[in-house]
Amino acid sequence: MSAALQDPGPPPARQLILNGIFTENPVFRLALSLCPAVAVTTTVMNGIILGVAVLLVQVLSSATVAIARSFIHPRVRIPVYTIIIAVWVSAIDMSLAAFVPTLYAQVGLYVKLIVAFAIIISRLEVFASRYPLVPSLWDALGMGLGFLFALVVIGAMRELLGNGSLFGVALAPGKPLLFFALPAGGFFSIALLMALFNWMERRAAEAAGARARAAGGSHA
Amino acid sequence: MSAREETLRITASMTVVCALGAAVLGGVYVGTERYARAAQSRGERNAIVELLGLDSTARVTEVRQFLAEDRGEVVYEARPFGAEGAPARRLVFALDGRLVAQEGAGGAVLPAGAARPLGRLFLASRDGLPLGFVVEGTARGYKNRIRFLVGIGRDFSIAGVRVVEHEEDPGLGAEVATRVFGGQFIGRDAANIAALAVTRDPMPEDWRSALAQLTRVPAESWRARQAGLIARERARPIYAVTGATISSRALTEGLKSTVDHFRRRWALLEPWLGAGS
Repeated sequence: MSAALQDPGPPPARQLILNGIFTENPVFRLALSLCPAVAVTTTVMNGIILGVAVLLVQVLSSATVAIARSFIHPRVRIPVYTIIIAVWVSAIDMSLAAFVPTLYAQVGLYVKLIVAFAIIISRLEVFASRYPLVPSLWDALGMGLGFLFALVVIGAMRELLGNGSLFGVALAPGKPLLFFALPAGGFFSIALLMALFNWMERRAAEAAGARARAAGGSHA
Repeated sequence: MSAREETLRITASMTVVCALGAAVLGGVYVGTERYARAAQSRGERNAIVELLGLDSTARVTEVRQFLAEDRGEVVYEARPFGAEGAPARRLVFALDGRLVAQEGAGGAVLPAGAARPLGRLFLASRDGLPLGFVVEGTARGYKNRIRFLVGIGRDFSIAGVRVVEHEEDPGLGAEVATRVFGGQFIGRDAANIAALAVTRDPMPEDWRSALAQLTRVPAESWRARQAGLIARERARPIYAVTGATISSRALTEGLKSTVDHFRRRWALLEPWLGAGS
């Protein structure tokens, strides 16, 4: 954390986005907000709606904190962050209820829970409170996209295995493995996907290492 | 900086944050409230039209029931559906069913907090003659309240069931919200509903495939087409969703008491709202 303070400047936008989606993916790498990730991802559509809601809340909250960071008293910053998040969550909750009532009927309960998502407040504390508006927006966008990506992948896996469908369109007869649609199956899905991500990263690291050795170890 | 000064600064900063937050929320509420209310009432209207197979010439009246505990009175307010805030026709009954007061449109507004809302029902009519009813009911589900609408025909048989709000488990209890489960109630009359039981026996395949058609066919024509099967199943209990006997029982019991209450309420209201309402 002290290293970030001495940082000469914020990382470039591209790196911030990729960071959120892959290297520091909130669900698969940081293992934050797993509970909601399990609760809503019974279908792809639910995952998309909650993912987009989280993305909006993250971007709006990070922007608010980045703009107001010099006015926020450090002794009460956590309560202030919580209020900022709660305001944006409520605003999005009311807008969803008014403009997309059918979708809201399915995910409305979980939208209110975004207030307690660890990923949002942790980005405010780690990033938005230290950097100006523009890099904070990129960081929020990256993290939000990373969360959305995770929810969509988990939702697709659970809907396909648990319900035999994708986006509500039946692809297989009956319910192949109903277990995956239930909460316990949600945790197993996340564990399996996390293992897959770890494996892919290890493969990528090994391949990079082999390339470096083949190049003659000039950087060694 | 003294401790006192710091406390004041913290208080001031928190106050400003809360005030700004409240202002944003107030703004969003004012901007969206109209749409949210319209969306909810549109959803209810669609459900009512679908449940009773209404056309555009039908009039829908919303009847709200309140209990004024301290005065020992039950108050019914009737107004055209969707005319929020319009003057209501009001009927006041004593707890023994005696009509205490009747006020036409334009009567005094019920003082807020004086009466507890008990429930709502919708009356569909054409040229003053009732076509059918939709009653809102609740049941205690596996986890939380199940809120549903039940369509009741002029002959007091069930026209259809729509679960509008529930938190049952996906793939298990949530299946009670499907047309396949709800369709089992269609065509049963009040006496049949009152004696209805739930069985864990598997649902016969021909009945299941007949019920599955309800997602594509309007209930009215489905009833005509499947009359034979419906008559056969009428003598049998409701088949519980596999693995969700509690949710299945909950909805069935909720439906039973809702239909029973409605029958008694309507016996009370019919002389006043039944014709020429």
